Amino acid sequence: MSIQDALFPRGKIAGVYPTLTTRGDEAYVEFIEDARNVLMHAQQRPIGEYSQQLMTDAGIADSPDPETTQAAIDLLMQDPTLKTYYRVKRSLQEAFWSGLSKSLNQRRDEIVAAFDAAEAAGPGTVEYDDNWRENAPEYASREIHIQPGGYVKDELAGPFYDYGLKVFLGGAADHDRLAKGVSMATAVPDDGQVSRILDLGVSAGATTIALKEKYPDAEVWGIDISAPMVRYAHVRAMEAGAEIHLRQMAAEELDFPDNHFDAVLAMLLFHELPVPVAKEAIAEVFRVLRPGGKFTVLDFPSVRSRGVYSMFFAEMDAADNGEPYLPDYVRSNVEDLLVEAGFELEHYDPKAALTRGRVVVKPAA
Amino acid sequence: MAKLKEADLAYTNDLPGAERGNPSYFENEVIDHLLGIVLELGAQFWVLRDRQAFLEEQLAAKGVVSLEDLEHGTPSDELQAKLKAERLAMIQQVYGRLYSTYGGDKAGPTSAPMS
Ligand SMILES: C[S@@+](CC[C@H](N)C(=O)[O-])C[C@H]1O[C@@H](n2cnc3c(N)ncnc32)[C@H](O)[C@@H]1O
Repeated sequence: MSIQDALFPRGKIAGVYPTLTTRGDEAYVEFIEDARNVLMHAQQRPIGEYSQQLMTDAGIADSPDPETTQAAIDLLMQDPTLKTYYRVKRSLQEAFWSGLSKSLNQRRDEIVAAFDAAEAAGPGTVEYDDNWRENAPEYASREIHIQPGGYVKDELAGPFYDYGLKVFLGGAADHDRLAKGVSMATAVPDDGQVSRILDLGVSAGATTIALKEKYPDAEVWGIDISAPMVRYAHVRAMEAGAEIHLRQMAAEELDFPDNHFDAVLAMLLFHELPVPVAKEAIAEVFRVLRPGGKFTVLDFPSVRSRGVYSMFFAEMDAADNGEPYLPDYVRSNVEDLLVEAGFELEHYDPKAALTRGRVVVKPAA
Repeated sequence: MAKLKEADLAYTNDLPGAERGNPSYFENEVIDHLLGIVLELGAQFWVLRDRQAFLEEQLAAKGVVSLEDLEHGTPSDELQAKLKAERLAMIQQVYGRLYSTYGGDKAGPTSAPMS
């Protein structure tokens, strides 16, 4: 079966997201997406103000250390309206994954067969471990965002994640707009030489494809610890006609020579890594970048720019939305870890952590 | 992993959120269930409403409609835009009151903030 028939039997929506099996499935997920927009995203600011008022009234200090965060959790989670908000958030997340997986599971065999058929076809290449399921490390097997099967164990992890991004961002990723923005934000060396680019933790590969579109003459590589992700990213790259090279590989153990890349990107990867893994990954990026090469890290701001309420929010997301590494990440100050590894910090504005990121450069030898 | 050992990461098994779990937020978990149920009913209602509007659009345009079209077709862009507005208004009207304590019932829909 062709990729078209397997992934887009009812035509493409908002770019190349996999199409849900029936119109009814789509209507269900559209309801969830808009319920999130009204009952979560639109509430974020007013519910933050409300929560902060409760904390002020209770005399909780604005310090994000773990004890204070726990005091904030104890206080806020007694409030009926806040309980409702976090209940609604969790229920919508559960309903989304159940609706999405029920719909795509009806076509599971066709979709997997299309992945298989795409494997040897170009443009671009993909390689992964045949025993990917058994060999997946435990720390990478969590069900992040409570996605069923997580990133590494389900063959449909790529399509699941891709559709999840659409819904969680309320449409902001549609038509790969987000990915295009990220490719613009990816820093390149001052001398303008861009022969090789590496994207870490590619997931669905939208960003990697956008990088190839922005730098058509460069060799573009993308790695992810998940075999299902690189398989799906390859299919997406074929759809886009983009020649990118995808490998199942751990960011903390890069199988590339020293001084090999001009630019490396990590978009929304670090908050999903345990800190010891993040440190190893940073050391590896330092090794594979050439002197003058730049590393762009787009991710959430760190603890210095966050008060106790943001920390509370991170702890809640950790426990209820399957983000176990988020609180440690926020407290780790990734910009410090980068400097400790030998990089020079070129740019970091905490208010633009997700849009411009931290940009660091490997000093000349 | 080259330098990291499995034991270095064993602590991650005990982090909150490492296991999916089944959190409840209210002392009486019946309330947790009821909120899940009213959201699910809203979604199921919406699936029917969408199908009805799509059926009406097809009938008005063609006088007949096939089951195949209803199941696998897609409403016109115009109808989709109308349905989106209706859906947002319905969600706000039905569920907004859950947040009336702080005026959240009046907060209009926005997309996810990217910061
Ligand atoms: C939130 S997604 C990244 C989003 C993506 N960069 C984008 O622009 O849409 C995180 C990805 O990192 C991958 N990942 C997790 N741990 C990893 C590791 N140690 N090395 C490489 N990839 C990893 C996951 O499999 C997942 O696909």
